[in-house]
Amino acid sequence: MRHLFHPGSLRRPFTFCTQTDSLSPVQRIFWLAWRDLVLEFRGRTGILSAVFFLAVMLFILAMAFGPNPQDLQKAAPGVLWVALAFAGSLLAGRAFGLEVEDGTLDDLLLTPGSREWIYFGKLLFQFSLLILVGLVLLLLTAGLFYLPLQNWAWFVVVLLLGSLGYAAISTFYAGMLARLRGREVLLPLLLFPLVIPVVLAAVRFTQGLAQGIPVAELSDWLRLLAVFDVIYVTVCAMVFPYMLEG
Amino acid sequence: MQLARSNQTNRLDSLTLGILGLGMVGAGVGFILAMGAPPDQSQGFVARIFHMHVPMAWMAYLASFAALGYSVAYLVRRKAHHDRVAAAVVEVGLIFMALALLSGMLWARPTWGVYWDWEPRLTTTAILFAIYVGYVVVRGAIEDPELRAKAAAGVAILGSINVPISYMSVKWWRSLHQTQSIDLTTGKINVDAAILIPMLINLAAFTLLFIGLVRLRSIIAAREAAREEV
Repeated sequence: MRHLFHPGSLRRPFTFCTQTDSLSPVQRIFWLAWRDLVLEFRGRTGILSAVFFLAVMLFILAMAFGPNPQDLQKAAPGVLWVALAFAGSLLAGRAFGLEVEDGTLDDLLLTPGSREWIYFGKLLFQFSLLILVGLVLLLLTAGLFYLPLQNWAWFVVVLLLGSLGYAAISTFYAGMLARLRGREVLLPLLLFPLVIPVVLAAVRFTQGLAQGIPVAELSDWLRLLAVFDVIYVTVCAMVFPYMLEG
Repeated sequence: MQLARSNQTNRLDSLTLGILGLGMVGAGVGFILAMGAPPDQSQGFVARIFHMHVPMAWMAYLASFAALGYSVAYLVRRKAHHDRVAAAVVEVGLIFMALALLSGMLWARPTWGVYWDWEPRLTTTAILFAIYVGYVVVRGAIEDPELRAKAAAGVAILGSINVPISYMSVKWWRSLHQTQSIDLTTGKINVDAAILIPMLINLAAFTLLFIGLVRLRSIIAAREAAREEV
């Protein structure tokens, strides 16, 4: 396993790590996500471009909603989630983009064992990326759109749940379209109609928080979001192995 | 073997023709009956669009369930036939969905005063429409038949599962913020037998047309596939 940290072996860790059989599925999930995260941070282009894209988008949205602080504050929850959804569609291609470019997708598929762990590993990777970008975004929105962050813990909770639902679907479609030309166009087309319920519930909860409504009254939205997450993750994990075969 | 099969698919079978013919006759009879039905008390003659709108919307949701069923069947059994039927169901369903949305908008303008309302059923149908447009685009983008079938099945399964989820979420979205709104789902029309019977005839006729069109589309798709093989 120490080979994983050797720069030369990063691109193909599993060819160096011969005892994949002995790894438990949870370890495989973790290592796959870890490898992708290391690659992502060493490459830097993906995550940096997503963050700067977000910053520029926030500027444009702030100009669209006007300089009046009340208007900006009212728009803030919607802006937060729309920006995250757009950034997520940029990042979604990263889940399998490098695998296809480097031809390592076949290696990944050839590793013995069931396929679900590939999905969960990529999901963990996408989820971590979204959380990181989401936290930056939360701070930017708080600064530029006057989003009150007194209840910051609940903002983080809704960010976690919303990102999980979003990542569940985006990872599924990214894997499905991995080998396809023109996937950059197809991915948002397929992704956005499906994530509407997740974004809707997350926006509603965030709006309530921003307006200072007590969390007890809003918890229905959070519960709904959790139910969506469970359904999407389960269904995507069940269907995903069929999508990758062959 | 090849010849025999392509011969088989080269002929429009009598069952399809029969279903389509019966559906067309039924739609004609339903239309005449609908025009003869008494006008609605509050909405007048405008309410007659109901006889077209409800069966179309019903077909749209039937298509969603059928697409889910055939897509799961394809992933389990791996028969190209199931994939072709799923694609046909989605294509025909998309037409019915567009017609349901359009006729609904035409109906909404004189009765509610607006073409569009963010009512759960409308919003869910619009989302479903977007998902199935994605389905057709994905099918067009992938050339390899097996890959295309698998990806399309994935889109259809996730899309169909999304229907109740988005319905629920949009309903909640409305109910939490809108204090009072017209309950469009219950208070539409006081359905009388004079209106119900033509509507049911229309429903039966549209179901037959739907099945007939799906069969026709699947036969064409099968023919195309057979030709590609040769």
